[in-house]
Amino acid sequence: MAEVMLKALRKTWDDVVAVDDVSVTIEDGEFIAILGPSGCGKSTTLFMLAGVYLPSAGDILFDGIRVNDVEARHRNVGIVFQSYALYPNMSVLQNILFPTRFQKLPDAEARAREMAEMVQISELHDRRPSQLSGGQQQRVALARALIKRPNLLLLDEPLSNLDATLRLTMRAEIRRITRELGVTTLLVTHDQLEATTMADRVICMNAGRIEQVGRAQELYLKPDTQFVAGFIGSPPINLLPLPHAELEAHAGATLMGLRPETIEVAERGIPAEVTHVEPMGREVLTTAGTPLGPLRFLVPTAQPNWTTGARLHLRFAEDATVLFDAAGKRIDGATARWRKESKERA
Amino acid sequence: METQAKPDWGLLAARSRRARQIKKTLLIGFLTIVTVPILLPFFWMLVVSLSARTGGVESAVLWRACAVLLPATLAYVVLHLALPRRRVWSALGCLALAGVGLWVSVGNELHLNNYRFLITPNLIEDIRGAATAGGQFPWVWEAFVNSLWVAASSTVLKVSVATLAGYYISRFTFLGRSSFLQGLLLIEVFHPWMLTIPIFLVIYWVGLLNTLTGPILVLTALQLPFFIFIMKGFFDAVPWDIEMSAMTDGASRREAFWYVVLPQVRPGLLAIGVLGFIQGWEEYVFVTALRTGSSYWVMSTYLYYVAEDVMGVDYGLVAAVSVFYIIPSLALYLLCQRYLTQMTLGGIKG
Repeated sequence: MAEVMLKALRKTWDDVVAVDDVSVTIEDGEFIAILGPSGCGKSTTLFMLAGVYLPSAGDILFDGIRVNDVEARHRNVGIVFQSYALYPNMSVLQNILFPTRFQKLPDAEARAREMAEMVQISELHDRRPSQLSGGQQQRVALARALIKRPNLLLLDEPLSNLDATLRLTMRAEIRRITRELGVTTLLVTHDQLEATTMADRVICMNAGRIEQVGRAQELYLKPDTQFVAGFIGSPPINLLPLPHAELEAHAGATLMGLRPETIEVAERGIPAEVTHVEPMGREVLTTAGTPLGPLRFLVPTAQPNWTTGARLHLRFAEDATVLFDAAGKRIDGATARWRKESKERA
Repeated sequence: METQAKPDWGLLAARSRRARQIKKTLLIGFLTIVTVPILLPFFWMLVVSLSARTGGVESAVLWRACAVLLPATLAYVVLHLALPRRRVWSALGCLALAGVGLWVSVGNELHLNNYRFLITPNLIEDIRGAATAGGQFPWVWEAFVNSLWVAASSTVLKVSVATLAGYYISRFTFLGRSSFLQGLLLIEVFHPWMLTIPIFLVIYWVGLLNTLTGPILVLTALQLPFFIFIMKGFFDAVPWDIEMSAMTDGASRREAFWYVVLPQVRPGLLAIGVLGFIQGWEEYVFVTALRTGSSYWVMSTYLYYVAEDVMGVDYGLVAAVSVFYIIPSLALYLLCQRYLTQMTLGGIKG
């Protein structure tokens, strides 16, 4: 278990910058997630932490000690790959025992059984990986990564090969196991639900850079950048260009973000005409054309639904808006409101 | 009204079943017919080696024997298809049947005299009498051991170099990697025999003429490009993840290669091992070209001189030597058949 610190980490492949100026501190025992679209450099960061890739610049510190030049095998890092990367020529138990081949543990066998117990695969010891289901393979990979009590556990999109129900179970399982062991964990994923449900803190990355680090709620409610606002949240946030004749906003803001759930249907307000209706279960995602541009909003399924072509009025609270400047950064405290609202009230 | 007749599903199904059966029968029939001319020479070889006397071959014996062997083979084919679970037994049964059939039809013509070369150190003296060209011609076991040495040591060289090179090409980028790969294929365009004279000169200058090391090195070099290519294909099919995983699990790169990657390409190792061995075992051109006189004997040159040099042609003796020559590669092939067929897929399954 260790505190892990990245300082101005950078990785380039020839001319391509994969990771640029990444600095973050992962607390001892913390579960942190890197969230970002494919190609944003999240896996490259993970492999630099594992010691598979050498950083082009910057430092990696485990408990304050620089480990840049320490080989992967000496870093004591456990890793679970998206493909699980089990060794097909070995049985389940041999797979779990593999790391102990190089790091002498006094009671390796007993410990492997204990690990298997913890990830609930005790009855599968002698099977080959090819005879296991996806969820079972995942558990074996987890046990193998944890047997040597790693400083840091790395999870590279561990759930994306599982079906939806299993994913739900494994999410809770992984959380339980890492908490039980108190191991510092870094999860890399492109699935925001995975990141926000499992991690204590989320690092949102884009194009090799960190956009924002914080708790899931912070990223959702106070996105630092336009990218974070657009990437996090499902259904996605409404983004409206500013300045707009009907909007009264902070000068210098070029974009307004408005979460679909903060828009409500009202007696009076912004006139709108429904263009799409998408039932999503608990709510119906409705899209309507307005003078501000198309707006997505949510209507509870239990309420009477709107049909395409219906005319209605929409309203949003001023403090639900977030504004961004030309550089895509959030303008702290700035809000926007519909200009005619005050007139109608009068 | 309802004259729009429903198709008769039962009839259609029966028709399709019949068509499938006819197709299968035709296919098996065709393959059997094609196989017969390939198999016949081998049967002849066997029968000649067991029946010919110095005078020559009795063709009546030949035909009678083949009249037993061919039906036995066909019977085995039928049993092989009909009883997939008892293949070993059906093979042994057919073999026994063929043995009994041979004994009944041509039993009094069979003898083992042609195989005397196995126990007679000096074949020429045995045939032409003492004090002729004795000493020139070796005992067959000397050639056998030499052939074994050539095949085995060139195989070890080929497999180890091809494995390491294939791994490196598959995993690392380096300057000229793609041209190296193209070069490997380009070499395959030229037939190695075109290089006989240059190779002879090189071996002569290096001073390896008339040693077994010469052909061993030449055979290794000639077959390496192809084998490297095959091994590269096998290594390409091993995912990176597994290797990275091994290295984070505490293995060094070499240990990861040894414990994790190599076991995945075992079918490839066996395939090129068998191919390499058979190639070395049956090599004739370079073992002949790289010796002047009779400094060493291998099985192929032994067979050639038995046919050409000893005394007219003793077909019985030639056939017996051929049978003896063919047994090791046949056995090896039968044992490793499973892995050889996997090689054409160029990868590993599961």
